Amino acid sequence: MESLQKILVWLPQLLNGTKTTIIITVLSVAVGLVLSLFLALGKMSKNPLINKPCSAYIFFFRGTPLLMQIYFIYFGLPQFNPALTIKSAFMAAMIAYTLNTAAYLAENIRAGIQSIDKGQYEAAKALGMTYGQTMKLIIIPQTIRRLIPPVGNEFIMVLKDVSLVAIIGLSDLTKVTRAISSSQATALVYIPAMIIYLIITALFTFIFNKMEKKYSVYE
Amino acid sequence: MKKCLVMIMTAILAVSMLAGCGSSSKETKAPETDAAANEAGETAAAGEVTTIEEGVLKVGMEIGYPPMEYFDEDGATPIGFDVELAQALADDMGLELELVDTAWDGIFAGVDTDKYDVIISAVSWTEDRNNNYLLSKTYVANAPVIVVPNDSDIADIQDLEGKSVAVQMETTADYLVQRYVADGLNTDLRQYEKVINAFDELKTGRVDAVCTDSVVAAYYLGDEASNYQNVWEADEKEPICMCFKKGNDALKDAMETALDNIKANGKLGEIATKYFGSDITADLD
Repeated sequence: MESLQKILVWLPQLLNGTKTTIIITVLSVAVGLVLSLFLALGKMSKNPLINKPCSAYIFFFRGTPLLMQIYFIYFGLPQFNPALTIKSAFMAAMIAYTLNTAAYLAENIRAGIQSIDKGQYEAAKALGMTYGQTMKLIIIPQTIRRLIPPVGNEFIMVLKDVSLVAIIGLSDLTKVTRAISSSQATALVYIPAMIIYLIITALFTFIFNKMEKKYSVYE
Repeated sequence: MKKCLVMIMTAILAVSMLAGCGSSSKETKAPETDAAANEAGETAAAGEVTTIEEGVLKVGMEIGYPPMEYFDEDGATPIGFDVELAQALADDMGLELELVDTAWDGIFAGVDTDKYDVIISAVSWTEDRNNNYLLSKTYVANAPVIVVPNDSDIADIQDLEGKSVAVQMETTADYLVQRYVADGLNTDLRQYEKVINAFDELKTGRVDAVCTDSVVAAYYLGDEASNYQNVWEADEKEPICMCFKKGNDALKDAMETALDNIKANGKLGEIATKYFGSDITADLD
């Protein structure tokens, strides 16, 4: 079939774009997750010097569009101060997505932690554990099981949101698709592109399901 | 009872939204049927051409391409060579002008799907576009050029070897560099959504050069003439023309007649001088 032939010709470029998409998604969610843990704990802290900045950070990154954040970090900062120029578009994208993801995940983590019943804290206190030990040994391990659906969700959302990197000149899967569609005057290329997205989503959904089963052993 | 009421209201809301979607399809008149009626008469009058919406000339344009089409300082008023050209043509044809601001990478699909009658957006003539759409005759001369900082040692497109160049994606400048890359030029091609982003990259030093239309370069160099220069112009000139849906000969002929009219009465030259400093619409082949 002629269509199939065309798709095979486009495949290498599409896969190249896919590589960029996956790398940015995986790295930014991974690093964002670590950052969000600190943000969540910070927001729950009794000390206003800690919880106010954390709350402000979460408010800012959830309250502004990701598109604006990317654009601002890459094109906006240099206009304020040339020293703030981030040379690599990839680095700028990583920063933007990590900061953004961290804000959303922080709220998910906070919900997860707060859903652990008070009995756990009381038992830990009875055993003489400090706050830090309680968190590290008792609360957070239990939270992980509860976090898998929201984090999986965020991951899948970021996977699609990565399509915004086109504005700073990076070639992700969506940009490559649009470029091919426009230069060949055909919408056929959207079909393999959408299938690729579905495959990636299915793959990671499978992985997250497996993780959830593993961590649910004690429930 | 209450639950029932909520379900009924939701159903009504859903149905009315669907109904709203359905009724928004416009009457699309087939432009080809008017070809016979348009043969007589020199002046293109409103009654002789069929446009998508009667009495209105819809023009697709990517408003973000100075000096051809861009927004004024207020961020909302379109200005530029193409904007004034479109207004002059619509006035000559007795039609009302409606500008449809469209992202560049969907602009050609839009004329095919009758989102607008014509694209007047610094569309360069290319073989591909000529095969898939209907292009009018040239209204302004143009060619791809390379812009570099004054202290750059790039003097020719081949000097981009090992360097980086920014373009606006899906433009002829983009395709030009891609052709050279396919022929073996080892350069890092960075593609951006808007041409101003390409120039931002040049300013911050992230790329070594920008490849764009000479008309656009003239505008940017006008602002920062001390920092940048035009170093190379492609031999393959890229005359700028209007783009119609394939088969829409009636409207194309009418607009070419209008173009001739405003050229003859000096309006076109006036617009050109305003934006380019001289009349670059004269002496076109």
